Amino acid sequence: MKAMEVHGVGVTFGGIIAVHDVSFAVEPGEIFAVIGPNGAGKTTLFNAVTGIHPPTHGHVELDGREQVAPMTRQTMVELLVAFLLVGVGVAATVNVERLWQASVIDNYIYEQPFPWGSALADLGRAVATLGWLGGALPLVCGGLVGAGAAWTNWSRARRSPDHIARTGVARTFQNIRLFNELSLVQNVLVGMDARMRAGFFSALLRLPRFRRERERFHAEAMKLLEFVGLADRALEAAGALPYGFRRRLEIARALAGTPKLILLDEPAAGMNPTEVGGLMALIRRVRDRGTTVILIEHHMKLVMGISDRIHVLQYGRTIAEGSPDAIRSNPRCIEAYLGVEENG
Amino acid sequence: MFDFEVLVQQLITGLSNGMIIALIAIGYTMVYGIIELINFAHGDVFMLGAFFALTLMGVLGMESWGPGGQAVGVAAMLVGSALFCGALNWSLDRVAYRALRRSSKLALLVSAIGCSFICMNLGLFWGGLPMDVFAGGVAAAAPKDFPALVPQVNLLGESFIRITPADALVFAVTIPLMVALTLMVNRTNLGRAMRAVAQDPVAASLMGIPVDRVIGATFFIGGALGGFASVVYSLYNNTIGFQMGTRAGLDAFTAAVLGGIGSLPGAVLGGLTIGCVRAMSDQYLETRWTNTIVFCILVLILIFRPSGILGSSRKEKV
Amino acid sequence: MRWRPGPIVTILAIAAVVPLVDLVLPAELALSEAVRTVFLYAILALGLNVMTGYAGMLNLGIAAFMAIGAYAFGILSCEIYPFQLGFWPALALTIPIGALAGFILGAPTLGLRGDYLAIVTLGFGEIVQDILKNLDSITKGMQGINPLPAPSIGGAMWTSNDERSWYYLLLALLTLTVIAARNLERSRLGRAWFSIREDELASRSMGIRVERAKMIAFATGAAIAAFAGGLSASVLSSTGEPNNYDFQVSILALCIIIVGGIGGVAGVLVGSLVMVGLNSIVLAKATAWMAAHGIGSQGNVMLSPNNWKFLIFGLALVIAVRIKPTGILPPKLERGRV
Repeated sequence: MKAMEVHGVGVTFGGIIAVHDVSFAVEPGEIFAVIGPNGAGKTTLFNAVTGIHPPTHGHVELDGREQVAPMTRQTMVELLVAFLLVGVGVAATVNVERLWQASVIDNYIYEQPFPWGSALADLGRAVATLGWLGGALPLVCGGLVGAGAAWTNWSRARRSPDHIARTGVARTFQNIRLFNELSLVQNVLVGMDARMRAGFFSALLRLPRFRRERERFHAEAMKLLEFVGLADRALEAAGALPYGFRRRLEIARALAGTPKLILLDEPAAGMNPTEVGGLMALIRRVRDRGTTVILIEHHMKLVMGISDRIHVLQYGRTIAEGSPDAIRSNPRCIEAYLGVEENG
Repeated sequence: MFDFEVLVQQLITGLSNGMIIALIAIGYTMVYGIIELINFAHGDVFMLGAFFALTLMGVLGMESWGPGGQAVGVAAMLVGSALFCGALNWSLDRVAYRALRRSSKLALLVSAIGCSFICMNLGLFWGGLPMDVFAGGVAAAAPKDFPALVPQVNLLGESFIRITPADALVFAVTIPLMVALTLMVNRTNLGRAMRAVAQDPVAASLMGIPVDRVIGATFFIGGALGGFASVVYSLYNNTIGFQMGTRAGLDAFTAAVLGGIGSLPGAVLGGLTIGCVRAMSDQYLETRWTNTIVFCILVLILIFRPSGILGSSRKEKV
Repeated sequence: MRWRPGPIVTILAIAAVVPLVDLVLPAELALSEAVRTVFLYAILALGLNVMTGYAGMLNLGIAAFMAIGAYAFGILSCEIYPFQLGFWPALALTIPIGALAGFILGAPTLGLRGDYLAIVTLGFGEIVQDILKNLDSITKGMQGINPLPAPSIGGAMWTSNDERSWYYLLLALLTLTVIAARNLERSRLGRAWFSIREDELASRSMGIRVERAKMIAFATGAAIAAFAGGLSASVLSSTGEPNNYDFQVSILALCIIIVGGIGGVAGVLVGSLVMVGLNSIVLAKATAWMAAHGIGSQGNVMLSPNNWKFLIFGLALVIAVRIKPTGILPPKLERGRV
């Protein structure tokens, strides 16, 4: 089974084709690189795979499963509930004055204690006389709106980045997007959120379950920071971190969710040769933990040094795929990319 | 029995009010299109424009002018209010927004809300001026009568359906303005600069476009349209008050979102729709529920088509 | 390390001794009653802070949730309605009712861009007043619902003369709200809110369920605001007219969190003191003083301090975001924990 399969993915933005019919498959435990000149559609491809801008054509499979959440019985139940809730809510709102009049004001106002039984009976009779226009029409219209809204929300959520992240795909960003006001540990803990179970009330009431979970994840976050070599800065604000460390923190945050697959978008951008050496070692260690790595990179030494296979894009289309050696000697790749990049 | 003439009459009212809403909505949509800010103060700038026009009327004593003179007076109010609102909106940008361009969107929005409140308070004080048109300044907060300078006759003669000169004025002012604005945005250098800044302010400034001046010009034009709208609104509805900016702003913003924010034809379409919905709701449902219905429409659009009827969805750059 | 009281504990401790200070002050300078208003607004602003401060969703209609809480309390507890609950059950029920109202408004709108949400909440704030006025057969329209029960001890209900009992009850409830807000802030949920406020897309890509987290923030904030509403209705023994919950109240709450320090509990407490102090102590005393000296009686609009409110709130917002966007007492991140 493949870690990820991309089937004929295409992305268009208002008539511009950014990615056209790209397909590839990544083996588990592999380091897979996507390279190409600027504007070749690499980041767009990443965004399509992680659900930020879902693909216009084609689809992506993870571990042999569709990446988009399927329609389940639970979804249908939710749609039905939305229909009933909103429908009844709208019908009740439209008629609230009439019903209140019939059940409370007409007969029982100021009565103490309130005669619940007969008031409810009156309410029932009033509901029965609402008729088609007053009762059924708002019920159906409201219900359709409710179900429609629930459907819209569901179809947005089924391929949203958070859903995809929760299926085990983590990523970093080309222009690092850390939470600058949070500390390093907290940044990592955000990445672990999908694995946490303590809910609203256990946090509100500080239940033992909440404390236990907090201690456990805190320790794990510290271990991850150690793994990327940032443990001694754990309590500093992420915004104050030097550039080279920021990439490492982003990788730690991405690893925090124990993903099966991690996508690195130009991890070496702006790094000096020493830092790149450290990064290569780090990426190898990530792979050795059992995480499949897909990376976009311009830094040829890094790509050629650690990739198992390379996929080359140009103007949104695939022009080659193969081992580093094969790519190095492929004339189309040299023409499209390598020659230019290494001279420049 | 269904009365067809009432429907047509309400449609006329709805379209007239809709054109006014559209003119205000354009002010929102232009500013949002260029710096992604909901200019909360826009409704209150519109309100101050109406106060300015009323002051102008009082100072020049327009009510006692002859019919020909009153036509000149209306023109003077239109130009005066437009310049006033344009300048006011421009200065708001200069004083309260420009320094926050790099801050968070929340900060910018909060600043705009602050400006809206300041303008509202200025309106309250303004209404307390000891002038005849402001009822001598007593009860500053009360709504003010705005004298109808346009004659209250039916242009269609004896017909049951009424089209008044006020209706005609609304269309005579708003349509040329919208045409002129469309030409300006599509044909002139300033228009091109605006579109460039809207797409990418950094790239635009690298190409030598004076971004701050273009944004300032956008605020001026948006405000000026609000100024025109305020005079037309006042002559059409004959009552103004210092709190009218909030309601007008909500309607206009709903119109801008309905049409697709950032789109000029969208703002017009949205304004006309909201105007007609309001008129129909006033006639066939109940006036007291009209605002609630407009609000429900806003929520429904935002759920089902957040980019509006004519808008295109903008995607965050990653 | 020695334990030192943080700003929150200090503020609450000072608040606890105010009635004792009042014992020695002359009656016309007594502070307790004005400070009670500060407490109510502080609870309201803590609710707004959960939405706007923690999760970064600008809400311009928080007063609507306050109104919902007040009217829910009124309908549940007033003797002319069927429910006729006592003070405590009715007050407790304002919390789930507020949360439900937040859910109803939030469910369709929280996926929106932040600035759209601001407009939706602004509109919501307006139409809740409209609805309360329109449904006058249920809500008693402009009269408001009254009388409303107060807590009772030993069978006798407090009256508005029970100054000190009310004071300490409100202080205790404020303290509870503060603890709840702090607990949420320093939990998985608070962290998710902060991350969404900073970078929604990045949080989403890390697997944070953004809509869900926002919904919880919205419902929690609405619940706290409704609680404040129920409490204030009980203090006044009336819901008052629907216009008491207008845009001005929402903006006062917004001023409190912006001026005090958005996103921090201590900042909200300081902000309430400053803004409500200005609103109901300084302006009110100035009005009284001017009336006593016959200034402003000719009807000049500018000579009544109350007519400067909008201007002061507006300037407070504009100046605060320009000069000190983090507020008087910026939140300190608890970096070690969480």
